[in-house]
Amino acid sequence: MSAGTEVAGPLPDVEPSAPADPPRRGHTARWAALGALVIGAGLIAVLATRPPAAVTEVQNPLVGRPAPPVSGTTLDGARYTLPRAPGRYTVVNFFAAWCEPCQTEGPDLVQFQFEHQRTGDASMLSVVFDDTEGEARTYQATIGATWPTLVDPSGDLALSFGVRAPPTTFVIAPDGRVVASIIAPVTAADLDKVIAEAKASRP
Amino acid sequence: MSGRRFPLWTLLAVVLVVALVIGSGVLSSPPPTASQRAASIESVLRCPSCEDLSVADSSAPTAVTVRATVRQLVAQGETDQQIETYLAGRYGSSIELDPPASGLSLLVWLLPLLVGAVVVAAFVAVMLRRRAATDADPTGAEADRALDRAALDQRKRFLAQSLSDADAEYLAGDLSDKDYLALRRRDAARLAAVEARIGDLGRTAVGGAVITDDGPPPSPVDDSELPDVPPASRGTGGAADRPARRTRGRRSGWFLVAAVTAFAGALILAVSLFASDRLPGQTATGSVTLSQSQRLQESLAEAATEEDDGNLAQAADLYQSVLDSHPDNEVALAQLGWLEFETGQKGDDASLISAGQAKLNHAVRLDPGDYAVRLYLGTVLLQLDHDAIGAVGEYRQFLADGPPSSLLLQAAPELRQAYQEAGLAVPAEVPAD
Repeated sequence: MSAGTEVAGPLPDVEPSAPADPPRRGHTARWAALGALVIGAGLIAVLATRPPAAVTEVQNPLVGRPAPPVSGTTLDGARYTLPRAPGRYTVVNFFAAWCEPCQTEGPDLVQFQFEHQRTGDASMLSVVFDDTEGEARTYQATIGATWPTLVDPSGDLALSFGVRAPPTTFVIAPDGRVVASIIAPVTAADLDKVIAEAKASRP
Repeated sequence: MSGRRFPLWTLLAVVLVVALVIGSGVLSSPPPTASQRAASIESVLRCPSCEDLSVADSSAPTAVTVRATVRQLVAQGETDQQIETYLAGRYGSSIELDPPASGLSLLVWLLPLLVGAVVVAAFVAVMLRRRAATDADPTGAEADRALDRAALDQRKRFLAQSLSDADAEYLAGDLSDKDYLALRRRDAARLAAVEARIGDLGRTAVGGAVITDDGPPPSPVDDSELPDVPPASRGTGGAADRPARRTRGRRSGWFLVAAVTAFAGALILAVSLFASDRLPGQTATGSVTLSQSQRLQESLAEAATEEDDGNLAQAADLYQSVLDSHPDNEVALAQLGWLEFETGQKGDDASLISAGQAKLNHAVRLDPGDYAVRLYLGTVLLQLDHDAIGAVGEYRQFLADGPPSSLLLQAAPELRQAYQEAGLAVPAEVPAD
């Protein structure tokens, strides 16, 4: 091995020299940081100026379009079909007896019906959403609802209106278009306002 | 280096693409049945009233309604797109679990792609830069110079020591010829490589003053050098051994390529052999058990329908197909056993009867409490063995399991017969004539 070791021979010590391209690195990092900053700022700007999610979520795709066909059996066992163009404003209210917000809006619906019965420009229609007929009948009798209430055991009617949970209320114009969908307990005043606005936009 | 990297990376890319193509099922997916189609649509729809579940996973009334609607629309021949559009027209686009690929939601789809592209680009850039460096410096001297001189010297001393130790051990008889040669070959090669680096280092540093040592090339070591040749100097200098080193590098590169190929091939084979069938719309075969049990239930339901319609041969085929894949399916065993027994009775075919009995006995071992098996076994005892008492024993267990009233009505004549022949009172739950 002696010869082998000698091979290394008289070697001057070598400084392990650094690779010769250091300055470019810093620039790359700077540009990358700047790019990330610009993208981040852009995102913040776009997201901040958009309407909040709550508003867009509630926007029902049916609004402005003709209402789906409404027909079925009422709690009294009678057939009921809402005409394609009902000729007056129709408030379609999906409810369940177990749903507490429905209970808060019940008296307002009764009041609304009472007020518009005389003028004849609007009427109520209820649809049972995920509840038994018996419960629904008792509930409607308790609040004093005298308008037709459709049973919807298959949920098809709720599906055709895209109802996710009770209470959901739709206002259908005399020509049969859906003018509003409200996913919250409504008051008689809310409904009057919706109808007044709809009348104003289309006299 | 570049000669070795290129095929390896290309090969990995090819393997990846092939695996993805096989995994995606493009090559082997049969046209989906109606219920498979419905299931795949349901799995991408959000349950309207529970938000975080798919319609397929939810039992909420709204989800049940959506499922029924999807199945109805599928039956009417609507396309997947039409069905999704119909539902989105009612519930809004949020009914789809996947965010829409438009507007701001497009970001959700594009960002991962963008990040992936940046990572790939960075990787390629690094590889290219590395390759450019190697190409500009083909002997690798530039890179080697960066290595610490002291570290190289230390490594060299270690290897030299290791070689002389091996010689000593060999001469002392502690090492076999084979081991000694292998050890020597390995260490000599390593030593040569280290010395070559040191040589390069010295040459460049001294400015062309190449240190030479005209020893023999470091490897391979011949057997003829052994055994009494004392550990000779294997040292070489300069670039003399570089070609040898590079050849070795290339060869091991090809070994690596072959190994990776073999591994990937085996992996693909294993995946394609053991993966279950993918349902259309399924992106992976993850929910294997669910889809299999679903298909099983469908086959059994179909068989039961055929049986009710009097198509006994079709029903038997369906039960048999279930048993082919699930030999311990109790329902299929019981039903097919009964079918075989009945058919055997009619055709006076003893082998068919005993095959049916064997299946029924197998089924009752699997689920001793199942009313259907008990009813069948009781009837076998009654009709084949004329063993009314044994039949009553089975019928008691049949009644204990709470059979549906329709079945009870159907079986009533046999039950009454058995109880009467056994001299026992017919239980109250057996319908009278």
